[in-house]
Amino acid sequence: MSGIQELPDELQLATAQHVKYIQSLDTRKDEYDYWLTEHLRLNGLYWGLTSLYLLRHPDALPRDETIDFVLSCQHSNGGFGAAPGHDAHMLYTVSAVQILALVDALDELDKRGQGKAMVGKFIADLQNRETGTFSGDEWGEEDTRFLYGAFNALSLLGMMHLVDVDKAVNHIVACANFDGGYGVSPGAESHSGQIFTCVAALTIAGRKDLIDVDRLAGWLSERQVPSGGLNGRPEKKEDVCYSWWVLSSLAMIGRTHWIDREKLIGFILRSQDLEQGGISDRPGNMADVWHTIFGLAGLSLLGYPGLDAVDPVFCLPKTTMERVLGKAR
Amino acid sequence: MASHGVAKYNRAARTEEQRQQDLEKIEKYRQIEDSIRSQASAGTYDTALFQLTSKLLRLNPEYHTIWNVRRRCLISSLLSKSSTSNSSPDTMPTPHEDQSTSTTEQSASSTAADADSDADILRSELAFTVPLLVEFPKCYWLWGYRQWILEQAVLRLPTATATSIWEGELALDSKMLTKDRRNFHAWGYRRYLVARLETPELRGKSMVEDEFTYTTKMIRVDLSNFSAWHNRSRLIRRLLDERGADDKARAAFIEAELDQIREALNVGPEDQSLWYYHRYLILQLIHHSQESTIVPNLTVEERISYIEREIEDIKDLIEDYDDIKWVYEALLEYTLALGQLRQASQSTGGDDDRQNEELQTWLAKLRKLDPMQAGRWDDVEKELKSRRETT
Repeated sequence: MSGIQELPDELQLATAQHVKYIQSLDTRKDEYDYWLTEHLRLNGLYWGLTSLYLLRHPDALPRDETIDFVLSCQHSNGGFGAAPGHDAHMLYTVSAVQILALVDALDELDKRGQGKAMVGKFIADLQNRETGTFSGDEWGEEDTRFLYGAFNALSLLGMMHLVDVDKAVNHIVACANFDGGYGVSPGAESHSGQIFTCVAALTIAGRKDLIDVDRLAGWLSERQVPSGGLNGRPEKKEDVCYSWWVLSSLAMIGRTHWIDREKLIGFILRSQDLEQGGISDRPGNMADVWHTIFGLAGLSLLGYPGLDAVDPVFCLPKTTMERVLGKAR
Repeated sequence: MASHGVAKYNRAARTEEQRQQDLEKIEKYRQIEDSIRSQASAGTYDTALFQLTSKLLRLNPEYHTIWNVRRRCLISSLLSKSSTSNSSPDTMPTPHEDQSTSTTEQSASSTAADADSDADILRSELAFTVPLLVEFPKCYWLWGYRQWILEQAVLRLPTATATSIWEGELALDSKMLTKDRRNFHAWGYRRYLVARLETPELRGKSMVEDEFTYTTKMIRVDLSNFSAWHNRSRLIRRLLDERGADDKARAAFIEAELDQIREALNVGPEDQSLWYYHRYLILQLIHHSQESTIVPNLTVEERISYIEREIEDIKDLIEDYDDIKWVYEALLEYTLALGQLRQASQSTGGDDDRQNEELQTWLAKLRKLDPMQAGRWDDVEKELKSRRETT
C-alpha cells in the first residue's frame, strides 16, 4: 500500500465522522425516512455495528441495548423480524445471528431468547429439500442470497449439520453460467452480488474446487471502470457496494491482484461524506449505512491502514470469526 | 437506508416548516401501521384490514410484513374457501416442480361463481401492484407478491382463465423490460413465467421459439443488452433439441450466430456484451469434455477451422480498431484454446515461434490499454512462459 501516503488529505479515511454518523442513525425518529426503512432495522444494526468494529470503535453503540433490541425481534418459531412487529425472514435472522456473534452474545439466545436450536431449525426448515436451495420465509421466494445467509448463520451457530450441504452445492453449480459467474437461480444472468453469495457458500462448504477460477476472476476484474469503482454486471454503473461483492469474491479465489487496488481505494474514499460522515454509492451522492459498511469492508480487504481485518466470507471482523468458529468446533 | 443515485443534501438544513410536515407524515403513517398491527394481532384478517394494507403499501411497498398481512386477508376473507387448504404457504410450487393438485378437480368442487369472484380479486391484486412496480421496479417484495398471486390463480381458477392471467403478466413483463432493458428482476420473472406457462397446468406447450425471437428483438433494439444475450445463450440448447436439429442444422445455426456477432463487432468492437456472447459461442466450439455443447458432433478439425476463422477475422479488426482491449483479450484467449485443441488432436498447424511472438505482442497491448488489470496480465505471462517450457 505504498500509494496511500501519496493521497491528498481529502482522501484520508474520515473515521471520526463515520463513527458519529453511525451513532446518529437511531436518533432520526423525526425523519420520515427513518420509519419508511424500519423493515431494514436489524440489517442496519449489523451494517452499522460491523462498520464500528472495523473502524476500531466497537463500543460506540451500547452493547446491552444492542442485545436487547436483537432479542426483541425474535419470534416464537426462532426466526427474527426486522424490528418488533415485523414478520420473521431469513435476511433478518442472519443479521441477528451476525450481530450476536459480533458482540459475543450468542449464548443469550439460550439464556433469554428462544434458544439456539430454534434459530437453527427456523433456518434449516427453509431449505427446499428437493433442489437444495433456500427460501426467505414461509411464502416461498427462493434466491441464492438466502442459501448463503443460511450457511453463514448456521456456521456461526455451529449447526451446518441441519441442512443438506451437498444438495445446496449442486444447486449452486446449477446457477453457474458460461462466463464463470452465478445468478439468483439456475438460468439467471451472472451478477456480482449473487457471485459473492455463491462463492462464499461454496467456500463454507469446502467446495471451491467447483469454481472456474480464471474465468470467474476475469469476469470480476472486468467489472472495474476507469473511475476505479466496480460495477455489478457488464455495462452498468459503478457502485461502492460492489467494492465488497466483487472484491471479496476475488479474495476468496485468490485474485484481488487482478484489479487496480489503489484506484479502488481512491474511489471508495472519494465516496465519503466528509462533513456528515458515511459513504455513498458513488462520489457526490447521499451516504447510507449499507454503502458505509461495504465501502469500509472493501477498504479493509485492500489492507487500508487504521481498519480491522475483515473476513471475506462472512463480512465480520476476522477476530470475531476466530473467536466464534473456535467455539463452534 | 440503502439509497442509490440520490444526490447529497444536508439533513440538518430542514426548515422548521419542513420538519413539521415530516412529523405529520410520520404520524399518519404510524397511525395506519398501528391499526394494522392491532387488528392483525387480534387475528381478524378481514376486508377492513385488507383495505388498510392498501393504504400503507402505497406509502411503502418495501414493507414486506404488510404484504404478508395482505396475503392472510386474501386467504381468510376475500378469496373463496374451497381451495384454502391448498393455499397454505408450504405448498407453493416452484416452476420446476410437477404439481400434484389438479386444477380441474378443484374447479369442480368450487362453484363457478367462486371462481369468477376469485378471478376478479386476483386480477385486481395484480392491477393494484402495477403502479407500485412502475415506481419501484427493483423492489423484491413486489415481484414476490405478484408471483404468489399468480400461483393462487393456478390453484383456484379454471386453466383457461389462469392462463390468460399469466399471459397478461408476460405482456406486462415485456413492458417493464422496455422501460429498463437490464432489470434483472424482470428477466428472472420472465424466465419464471415462461417455465410455468409451459407446464400442463397452464399453456402446456414449449415457448422456446417465441422466447428466442424475443431475445433477437431485444438485441436489435440494443446490441449492448447483455441480459438479452445471456438469455439467448440459455435458450439455444433447448431450441435446437426441439427443432430436432441434425448436425448440419446445428453447424448452420452456430455459423449464423457467429456471422451475426461478427457483423456487430465490426461496428462496435468496444461493446463487452458482444464479446461475452462471442466467448460463449467459442466455448461451444472448444467443447471441453466435461461441458455439453450445442454442436456436439463437430470433428476436432472442424472446430479448429471455425476458431481459426474467428481469430483471422478478429485480427482484421485491429486494422480499424488498434486500441480496443477486448480485441487482444479475445485473440489471446482463443489462440491459447486453439493450441490446446491442436495438441489434443495431435494436429499441426501454426508456427510456434510466430505464435509466441503474436501472443507477446497482444499481451503487451493489453498491458498498455488495460493497466488496471496489470496483475492479471502478469499471471497470463507466467502461464505463457510455463507453457513454452513444457512444450
